[in-house]
Amino acid sequence: MLLVTVRELAVDRHGQRAVDNLSCRLHPGELTAVVGPNGAGKSSLLQALAGVLPPARGRLEFGEQDASAIPAARRAQLCAYLPQAEMPAWSLAARDLVALGLLPWGKTPDRNARVLDALRQVDALGLANRPVTQLSGGELRRVQLARLLVGNAALIIGDEPTAALDIRHQLQLMQNFRQQADSGRTVVLALHDLGLAARYCDRVLLLEAGCLRASGSPLEVFTPDLIGAVYGVSCEFRWRDGVADFVPLEVL
Amino acid sequence: MLNRSNAILGLLVLALPLALLAALASGPVDIDLGPALASGWAGQGSDAVILWQLRMPRALLALVVGAALGMGGAAMQGMLRNPLAEPALLGVSSGAALAAILLLYYGLAWQSGWLLPVLAIGGAFVAVGCVWLLAGRGASASRLVLAGVAINAFLSALMALALNYAPSMFAMQEIVFWLLGSLANRGWDQLLLALPFVVAGALLMFSGRNYLRALSLGEASAVSLGFGGRRYPLAILLGIAAAVGAAVAVAGTIGFIGLVVPHLVRPLVKQDPGRLLWASALAGALLLLMADILVLNFIGAQELRIGAVTAFIGAPFFFWLIVSARRGVAL
Repeated sequence: MLLVTVRELAVDRHGQRAVDNLSCRLHPGELTAVVGPNGAGKSSLLQALAGVLPPARGRLEFGEQDASAIPAARRAQLCAYLPQAEMPAWSLAARDLVALGLLPWGKTPDRNARVLDALRQVDALGLANRPVTQLSGGELRRVQLARLLVGNAALIIGDEPTAALDIRHQLQLMQNFRQQADSGRTVVLALHDLGLAARYCDRVLLLEAGCLRASGSPLEVFTPDLIGAVYGVSCEFRWRDGVADFVPLEVL
Repeated sequence: MLNRSNAILGLLVLALPLALLAALASGPVDIDLGPALASGWAGQGSDAVILWQLRMPRALLALVVGAALGMGGAAMQGMLRNPLAEPALLGVSSGAALAAILLLYYGLAWQSGWLLPVLAIGGAFVAVGCVWLLAGRGASASRLVLAGVAINAFLSALMALALNYAPSMFAMQEIVFWLLGSLANRGWDQLLLALPFVVAGALLMFSGRNYLRALSLGEASAVSLGFGGRRYPLAILLGIAAAVGAAVAVAGTIGFIGLVVPHLVRPLVKQDPGRLLWASALAGALLLLMADILVLNFIGAQELRIGAVTAFIGAPFFFWLIVSARRGVAL
């Protein structure tokens, strides 16, 4: 169980401020979506959470602890991060790619069992021995998700994990993330698909130009006014039983 | 667990002593290997002297140099996430070569046996240092390569200049032959000089094996797995500079081992960039020793340079890589 608190965070990327003065909380057991237009700072925020980019100002707290005071290996045990469009350089077998998720733990005696268990959780056990360069996009994403799960990290971060997947694989992957949140983990995903965000997430952070424009439940954040103002698109949300159908209409 | 890959690796290990024996038996003079070996280090017969003072250090040097080049190539490919990378890419070889050329140029090289290798190792470190500084803080792999290409181009220009203004035909010939790479006339001195650097470099590279593994997912993922900070790439780079720099310093520039060997053994270690390090060291040692056996058994007026032999092995391998990529096999 890990409560992540972000306090007045600023993140610089390529010498420019990408995230500014952002405060929020990520709760254990919740699936949080980070949404916003391209360049809004979604990836930078996730990279700061993952320890890839250092905060320029403000701080991150993992539980009670200042995240920057946690040694790198321990922090890697706490949080697992899947960057946008991660492509393995070598044609590792899927099980060997998943095992890389155990690197922060050093020698693990039950390595094999844990790897297979992680693959089983994402319904990819049959892919264990396949070279990852021969997997389809959806299969690769599932194997990468298993890599995030294998170390039992309390915080799971995914940067647009559903991008470039067909609708079936999108739903399957989101269900996987949902299960992880339901099992008590803190899950945060950058998403472009507002429909998926509305359906699967407990909480939405809407970013605009590096700042937090709105946060709350999907019902609170996904209003035609707010989305119109941030994305410059007129749209409709048709809510049925708390689930939204998102229909973008036209450019404003 | 013994599968086919491990069996092949095991065979490579077994092949080492056999190749060593073959190398000891190769040379312009036929010697009685058994008695010469039995007479030991301090043997007095001419066979014993040839074996222990000429052939043994040369064969061992081939193993050490081959291992350094193979492991350096594996580390470089792992660090740059690129199967076409080789140690020469970061200026290690040209730095060492330029230092050596300047000595040969001024005819100072033969004043003492260790002067050239020591300065060449220094040259390798200076070149890698320049690449590191030019690439700047937190450089990505592509920026490192770019900096390496730039430094390499500059060093090549300096080498061309040195050749252009070579003081004599003799000096020029020395330089050109040195650039071709050779294990001829190397003795215990060169071996003992290179060995500590190669061992230290190998240990440094080996210490970064988990970093190389994490890096196979990309730089951001590697950082998120706990491998942030400059000490990891720095350890690998220093390791390459020490091992490959020492190899170039005593044997000249021997190409293609660092490029080809990691390719050959990558399937045997299930593409794991960590295990690839020692497997490439093993295969590199074996390949260079076998190339040297070829050189030793080649009959001709001129000595066949080992750099030419490895290039002849390496270039067709490239053809094969391209053809197999055309057929859709992943590089």
